[in-house]
Amino acid sequence: MPKRPPITNRVKELREQHGQMSQQGLGDAVGVTRQTIIAIEQGRYSPSLETSFRIARLFGVGLEDVFGWEGD
Amino acid sequence: MSFREKSAWTMAAVMLVTGLFYAWLVSNGPAAPVIGPLIPYVLLVIILSVAVQIVLAIFSPRDAQAAADEREKLVIWRAGHLSGIILAVGLLMSGAVYVLHPFGNMLFHHMLGAMIVAQVAEYLLQIYFLRRGY
Repeated sequence: MPKRPPITNRVKELREQHGQMSQQGLGDAVGVTRQTIIAIEQGRYSPSLETSFRIARLFGVGLEDVFGWEGD
Repeated sequence: MSFREKSAWTMAAVMLVTGLFYAWLVSNGPAAPVIGPLIPYVLLVIILSVAVQIVLAIFSPRDAQAAADEREKLVIWRAGHLSGIILAVGLLMSGAVYVLHPFGNMLFHHMLGAMIVAQVAEYLLQIYFLRRGY
C-alpha cells in the first residue's frame, strides 16, 4: 500500500458547512476535477499550494484551518 | 470513474487488441516486408483511437473538453516516465535479440512491439495512479 501523505484536512467538513457544497462544485471553483477533491478528502492526495490557498480562500478561512500536519 | 480513467481503459484496450492483431499479422509472414503488417496496424490504431474518443466525448462532452488538472498531470507524467523505462528495456532487448539473430525485419517488429507494450503499460499505470490518488 502506498504511504499516505502526512497531511490532514477538513475539506469535507468545510464543504458541508458551506451549504452542502458538492464535490463537483468545489472542484469547479478551485480548478480541479471532482475525483481530485475526492482524493484530497480521503487523504490520498495532497493538493498544490495554489489549490490549497484557493480552497481556504473559498471557505474564508486560513490555510491552517483547512490543512494540518500529522506526525513528526 | 473519471473521464481520464475511462479514456485510459479504452486506449489500453485499443493498444492491446491492435497489438495482438499486429503480432498475428507478423506471425503469418515474418520474412515479408515490414510495410505489409505495418499499414493495416497503423490504420486500425488510428480508426479505433478516434472512434473510442468520439464515443467517450459524446457521453461526457464537458469532461472531454477539460484540460488535465494538477493531479492528473502528475499521474500522466509519472506513468509516462515509467513507461519510458519499459520502452528502453524493450528496445535494449530487441537489440540483444538482433545481435544473436541478425534479422532486420524481426528487429523492426520487436522494436514496434516494445513501443506497444510501453504504451499499454502507460495507460495501465495511469489507471493505477488515478485510483491510488497519485
